Amino acid sequence: MAFFEWVRTNSEHYLMEASQREMAKKYMGTEPPVVGATVKDIFFRRLFVPIYRLLPYRLTKLVMMAMPGSHHKDWGSRKL
Amino acid sequence: MALRIVVVGGGAAGIGAAGTAHQLDPDASVTVYTEFEDVGYSPCGIPYVHGKEIPKFENLFLQDKAFYKKMGLDIHYETRVNSFDLEDAKVCVEGEGDVAYDKLVIATGFNYKDPGVPGTDLEGLYYVKNIRRAMEWDKVLDSVKKAVVVEASPLGLEMVTALAHRGIETHLVDPHPWALAEVGDPDIMKPVMDSWTEMGVISHYNTKVEAFLGEGKVRAVQTNNGELEADLVVICTHKTPNNKLAREAGLDIGSTGGIIVDQRMATSKPGVFAAGDCNELPHGITQIPIQGLSGSHAYAQGKVAGNSATGGSRIYQPVYVPWGMVAGKWMIGGVSFGETLATALGIPFVLGVAQGISRARYYPDMKPVRVKLLAEPGSLKLIGAQMVGGEGIKERADFLAVAVKTGVTLHDLAWMENVYSPPIGALNEPIAMAAQNGLANAKS
Repeated sequence: MAFFEWVRTNSEHYLMEASQREMAKKYMGTEPPVVGATVKDIFFRRLFVPIYRLLPYRLTKLVMMAMPGSHHKDWGSRKL
Repeated sequence: MALRIVVVGGGAAGIGAAGTAHQLDPDASVTVYTEFEDVGYSPCGIPYVHGKEIPKFENLFLQDKAFYKKMGLDIHYETRVNSFDLEDAKVCVEGEGDVAYDKLVIATGFNYKDPGVPGTDLEGLYYVKNIRRAMEWDKVLDSVKKAVVVEASPLGLEMVTALAHRGIETHLVDPHPWALAEVGDPDIMKPVMDSWTEMGVISHYNTKVEAFLGEGKVRAVQTNNGELEADLVVICTHKTPNNKLAREAGLDIGSTGGIIVDQRMATSKPGVFAAGDCNELPHGITQIPIQGLSGSHAYAQGKVAGNSATGGSRIYQPVYVPWGMVAGKWMIGGVSFGETLATALGIPFVLGVAQGISRARYYPDMKPVRVKLLAEPGSLKLIGAQMVGGEGIKERADFLAVAVKTGVTLHDLAWMENVYSPPIGALNEPIAMAAQNGLANAKS
């Protein structure tokens, strides 16, 4: 797996995990258990997710848009 | 000399590409390679045959082999392509050697994500994909008493429902706190999960598969919460792009693992196009590439790729992803993203939620319809929606996809005109009610 795939896979996973915990608390009244305590788990849960959530979306989007992907190709005029 | 077009893959994208190319340039030589026995059927219908809603697999075939032969497509069934040589414009075909092309369309589809646990080589693990294997598995299902479905993905939802319909003791094992948690919100999914319980499904959320147990054949699934007996395990993990050949050939791959394409489905190499689950496309709101969409997306992309291969100028557009399905006793659907995904990405939104009805309140079989709208703060342009109800979800999802795409606001929706006819529509449209609530939330 290439570096950017690894970054995206993991950031998506841990951001979704944090969001799911929040939604579970809001709608189901329970918080799911936290499973796993590897170095990667700790890094993403304790550093990456809190920092990401502090940043404004326009900044995080800039980072996401800098990653390689189909969005850098010609897709005509797009609604923002 | 006739244009030589080679299509690798015989699913919705591959056949869409081949058919379009042949239609636009009847003199072109169009050759399709598929490693499977058939093309031109609906794999999406397989769970419904298993669930006995559709009487037989033959109903899923759209066309037979003679149709494609008569049409002029040269389809090589059960034929594996081993590599692409993009510099010399050739594909290496097992049993045929090198085959030259002028244009290549890659439509190699997806693989299920490897569960990554011991025991995946055991018999009794079912990956729903190929119709011939599905026919064989359907006979096995007649003797299955206990089944475990791994992960509540869209296919997982369909298979859980199908197996429960069939009277099999069905266990769902999913690592998330609720079903379809990577797409749907918990309030949208609750009726589905409750209906599964009514149907006898035993759901195990927040539960990870640790191993498949058995000697030769699976007998149980080991999870972090204990062992579940199983005569059959249906693997419904996330769809990942089947891109081994494209990677080896040096095509550019994006952060999703999908092949990078432009609006013509052109890849990083001239004359090479890609369509369907093997590529990635920008999302219409975020522009972030995504992959693993529906069969309708794959077919439409295939048609664009086929058009491009013949020199046409048709283009595909960023996707807003309307989706919908039947799960348990409910229909669910949506467009773009819901509250969970928007929160994960950090996208700000205003929420409007309403519980309405599908027909006049006095009309027989009236069903509840819950609508949840997400709008951009300030402009109040719609950016996403999710719904659950007894009927009318697909049509609302399609409508809301156009609404998101064209920049419709909560103001527009709150006072929209709507059909009122007791058997098919209530006086108050649930979308309008949700938009009105969204406007109230925006003011508060």
